Amino acid sequence: MSQEVIDERIGKEYAAGFVTDIESDTLPPGLDEDVIRFISAKKGEPEWLLEWRLEAYRGWLEMATPEWAHVHYPPIDYNAISYYSSPKSFEDKPKSLDEVDPELLEVYEKLGIPLHEQEMLAGVAVDAVFDSVSVATTFRSKLAEAGVIFCSISEAVHEYPELVKKYLGSVVPRRDNFYAALNSAVFTDGSFVYIPKGVRCPMELSTYFRINEANTGQFERTLIVADEGSHVSYLEGCTAPMRDENQLHAAVVELVALDDAEIKYSTVQNWYPGDTEGRGGIYNFVTKRGVAHTNAKISWTQVETGSAVTWKYPSCVLRGDNSVGEFYSVALTNNLQQADTGTKMIHLGRNTRSTIISKGISAGRSSNAYRGLVRMSPRAEGARNYTQCDSLLIGDACAAHTFPYIESRNPSAVVEHEATTSKVSDDQLYLCQQRGLDAEKAVSMIVNGFCKEVFRELPMEFAVEAGKLLEVSLEGSVG
Amino acid sequence: MLTIDNLHARVEGKDILKGLSLSVAAGEVHAIMGPNGSGKSTLGHILAGRPGYEVTAGSVTFAGEDLLAMDTEERARAGVFLAFQYPVEIPGVSNMEFLKASVDAVREHRGEEPLDAVTFMKKAREACKVASLDQAFLKRGVNEGFSGGEKKRNELLQMLLLEPRLGILDETDSGLDIDALQVVAEGVNSLRGADRSFILVTHYQRLLNYIQPDKVHVLAGGRIVRSGDASLALHLEDKGYAWLEDEVA
Amino acid sequence: MGSSMHDTLAAAAAAAPGWLAPARDAARQAWAETPLPTRKTEQWKYTSIAPLEQDFGPGRPVELDAATVDALLPDIGALRLVFVNGHFAPALSSGELPEGLELVRFAEADDSQAARIREHLGSALPEAGHPFATLNGAALGDGLFLAIAPGASIREPLQLAWLTAGDGQAFTVTPRLLLLAGENSCLSVVEHFADAGGSAPSFSNAVTELLLAPGATVNHYRLNLEQGRALHIGGVHARLERDATLNGFCLGLGADLKRLDLVVTLAGPGAHAELDGIYLPRGDEHVDYHTCLEHAVPHCTSMETFRGVIGDRARAVFNGRIHIHPQAQKTRAELSNKNLLTSADAEVNSKPELEIYADDVQCAHGATVAQLDALSLHYLRSRGVSREEAQVMLSFGFVNEVLESARLEPLRDALRPLLARRFARDPSLMRHLA
Ligand SMILES: Nc1ncnc2c1ncn2[C@@H]1O[C@H](COP(=O)(O)OP(=O)(O)O)[C@@H](O)[C@H]1O
Ligand SMILES: [Mg+2]
Repeated sequence: MSQEVIDERIGKEYAAGFVTDIESDTLPPGLDEDVIRFISAKKGEPEWLLEWRLEAYRGWLEMATPEWAHVHYPPIDYNAISYYSSPKSFEDKPKSLDEVDPELLEVYEKLGIPLHEQEMLAGVAVDAVFDSVSVATTFRSKLAEAGVIFCSISEAVHEYPELVKKYLGSVVPRRDNFYAALNSAVFTDGSFVYIPKGVRCPMELSTYFRINEANTGQFERTLIVADEGSHVSYLEGCTAPMRDENQLHAAVVELVALDDAEIKYSTVQNWYPGDTEGRGGIYNFVTKRGVAHTNAKISWTQVETGSAVTWKYPSCVLRGDNSVGEFYSVALTNNLQQADTGTKMIHLGRNTRSTIISKGISAGRSSNAYRGLVRMSPRAEGARNYTQCDSLLIGDACAAHTFPYIESRNPSAVVEHEATTSKVSDDQLYLCQQRGLDAEKAVSMIVNGFCKEVFRELPMEFAVEAGKLLEVSLEGSVG
Repeated sequence: MLTIDNLHARVEGKDILKGLSLSVAAGEVHAIMGPNGSGKSTLGHILAGRPGYEVTAGSVTFAGEDLLAMDTEERARAGVFLAFQYPVEIPGVSNMEFLKASVDAVREHRGEEPLDAVTFMKKAREACKVASLDQAFLKRGVNEGFSGGEKKRNELLQMLLLEPRLGILDETDSGLDIDALQVVAEGVNSLRGADRSFILVTHYQRLLNYIQPDKVHVLAGGRIVRSGDASLALHLEDKGYAWLEDEVA
Repeated sequence: MGSSMHDTLAAAAAAAPGWLAPARDAARQAWAETPLPTRKTEQWKYTSIAPLEQDFGPGRPVELDAATVDALLPDIGALRLVFVNGHFAPALSSGELPEGLELVRFAEADDSQAARIREHLGSALPEAGHPFATLNGAALGDGLFLAIAPGASIREPLQLAWLTAGDGQAFTVTPRLLLLAGENSCLSVVEHFADAGGSAPSFSNAVTELLLAPGATVNHYRLNLEQGRALHIGGVHARLERDATLNGFCLGLGADLKRLDLVVTLAGPGAHAELDGIYLPRGDEHVDYHTCLEHAVPHCTSMETFRGVIGDRARAVFNGRIHIHPQAQKTRAELSNKNLLTSADAEVNSKPELEIYADDVQCAHGATVAQLDALSLHYLRSRGVSREEAQVMLSFGFVNEVLESARLEPLRDALRPLLARRFARDPSLMRHLA
């Protein structure tokens, strides 16, 4: 395929890139302790949480931006960002979906996220976070029957203060890293999930995030606690409008899987990636981490196609004996996107097991790095890790990197890491074309096959979406 | 020589041997046949002492001693030799080093001096001839890159050098052409004697054309379901195992 | 590094020929501006240079008797040059210079040689600099210049022994080798670092530059056998032109601090590099290998295999980077790093890296940390070999596989018992090896 065709095809419009005209209540740009007090007051938070935020903020002031990742972007002016944006109509939060601004509901419909319960044939409970505020959580009564709590974190602060106080920051401490500290200081909303002992959550839980307002940062905070022997599958989707300037998204996700519990966390991240010249797009600097207690399992699956810059390492601290950590990832970069993503598997308990399957696809002039850490602590008797990292290159101007760190201090632990990098082979293409497929279809097929091990970890509805997303994100970049 | 009484054994939580009894007198050759997965290799591994193979009941006496109480290497030194169905590759350790270490260990146990390098070399070369293996294989890594047939002949080579009292050949004949089969048979026959016994695990009657067995057993469902003389093997060749199904159940 | 570094630099300057001064002064300037690496420096994340925090004076000549040296250096039938504490020891050296090989100390270089040294010295070093290569330049007193005539195929290997021997006070040595392999020439060089004992700690900061002209083949062996307080931070920097081949082999026993940087730049199409290594720290030792294959042009290949066995409370670091530059299409690069931890207090940190800016490439790396294979252990025991001896044999086999790739047979034969001894504390356990 010729360069022109490639260029033209790469220019494919970002399908989720509309801006919604909703009057919102936005704090002027800038960050100081007063801003934090404002956020906290606006949300009517208890004193301890305000103190917690301020402590995080003070820590953040002393921290430096991490520079080790293989990404390049101009320094961010944290005083040019607005730290609170709430759609005006939510000054008085709706009590039910009927009270939700119809225009907002339309936004979600455009995104293909049905919020009306009657449309929820798929049986997925949705919490939608629009800019910084949770808009609506569906299916609450049905979940309540099972004892499952699924609400916005702001609500949880009021309604389940003990749970929030106990677990908030227990996995990602306030001063864990620069972005986590920033998030801890200014987070505005996010989802909270609690699954009681022995309960299998009766449906998939899902949150859709959307950044709408210009110059706002999105700092959501998600906390999922799976009590002993419980089970939950959680999905997260993200989109943002097309804008010329970069927007910051610095989220924190904490997962707690108590003994024998299982949490499956799936993400389809499709934030606006910027245009073909690299203008605009989301800076996606996210800290995701879970702690698995005895016999517990945490599984991260991610499909990352969006964002201008991604910095994200969903991790598992395998604290309990026999606990299991999994990371399945597809990261696709095109145009001038940059991604530095991977995972950390920290093996603390005996006979802990982890699996890492990472598939990176680089196209255009993008840069895509896998960065992973597998650590076997001295106590991790009999622990096992298997890692497979594959990179696929499409076009001669992109870059693919693999930076695994393996640290072992236990002689009975086994770590196996393998990585490969290659392009779509001419032979594969030739074979497909000889069977009548055009180059684009052939590449799409090959890429889908390349990602199969990851896709099959996704819940069904997402797997289809993810496949389509790859196809759209790749359109035109093949030759 | 060997008495197995009501042996029950388990691998990875799965019961494989379920009350197997067998007695092999000195100088005898017994053939064990049976369908795939019936537990023939498991029996061999239990006798050789492979870790992970757990005896849950029964006893094994070898030359008057409790075999199951002995470590793997003690059994080997006492004269139990298992020719593996799937010989193990050990790159980086030469076949020669491996053979010398084994022979010395067994000799030391018998109270004999280790062989000097020249004598050992001579014996090794002779054994190579009998096993029909080129001497070049002595210098290569243990089984490294050997073909299936070469691996089997390397097992024979080890047996020839170690001169065990009980040789257990686990499908050593599988995958061999007729010439190689004869090599194995001649090797076994050359070792046969009043004080040495063999258990031949095989799928094919043809090996028994070259090595006359004293007894033939059928192992199925983790037990010996039928025993007889050499004619039983012919019968099995003819009829398969289906006619034994009642016994298996 | 204490205040005496100044004295060391001054002493080096006094010994050096005047024409080296500009290069040395530039390095000195750069050194003054180079921050010392800390554990926060990515390349030094797992290796602390704290053991360098003592006063090292200049290395002084020490007389060693031939028997001591023979015990340290295996006889591999080679032309042998021995340096003790950086000083050439003619009495300990032997052999005749074969035709086609030009060999001279910097201090004795004639004008034409000096001109070539000036032209090439430092040309294989990374542009961004390496702190300890810079230090070597700054402390440069003498060095060794080796040139192979175009087309010359030198049969006997060259053995360069860089020995340290303590004489009471901590001292530093700064070996430097510059090798120019002419077009289609061929040579095997064994660089042999060892410590002859003595009471004082030493710090060797050795830099080797290998420049391979088109079609040249160099087999380079770097044996770092120093242990204990004989510290070593060194580098081998190679540059390969069209169709040149480098076969590199490293063996590192551990020391209080040992760090090697091996950087190979494939600068001409068709160049091929093989890099193999073994590291065997034990006790409280530390060893760190940082390798980098710079694929700068198309159609080059590289193969790398490093294996380590880490015992006791020792630590090993392996960082293997493969860097494919934007133009370097049709590259094939492979790396394998395997480690065995044999003690509950041992530690290994492995980081294979792929950094790829071209698309038509086939690159792969693999890294493992594991223990001896249980089935192999069983196989040996089922033949009567004791568990202890089987463990020694398998550990040996694990690294011997890499040693077998070394092309120089006398060297392999000489190193095998050394490897076996590393695993068998009781000599009877290695009686069937080597
Ligand atoms: N290591 C093992 N782990 C689990 N199952 C095993 C193992 N080895 C053998 N088995 C099972 O035990 C049974 C008997 O196997 P085996 O003794 O190899 O049979 P045979 O040699 O008669 O074909 C089979 O069902 C086989 O799948
Ligand atoms: Mg079998």
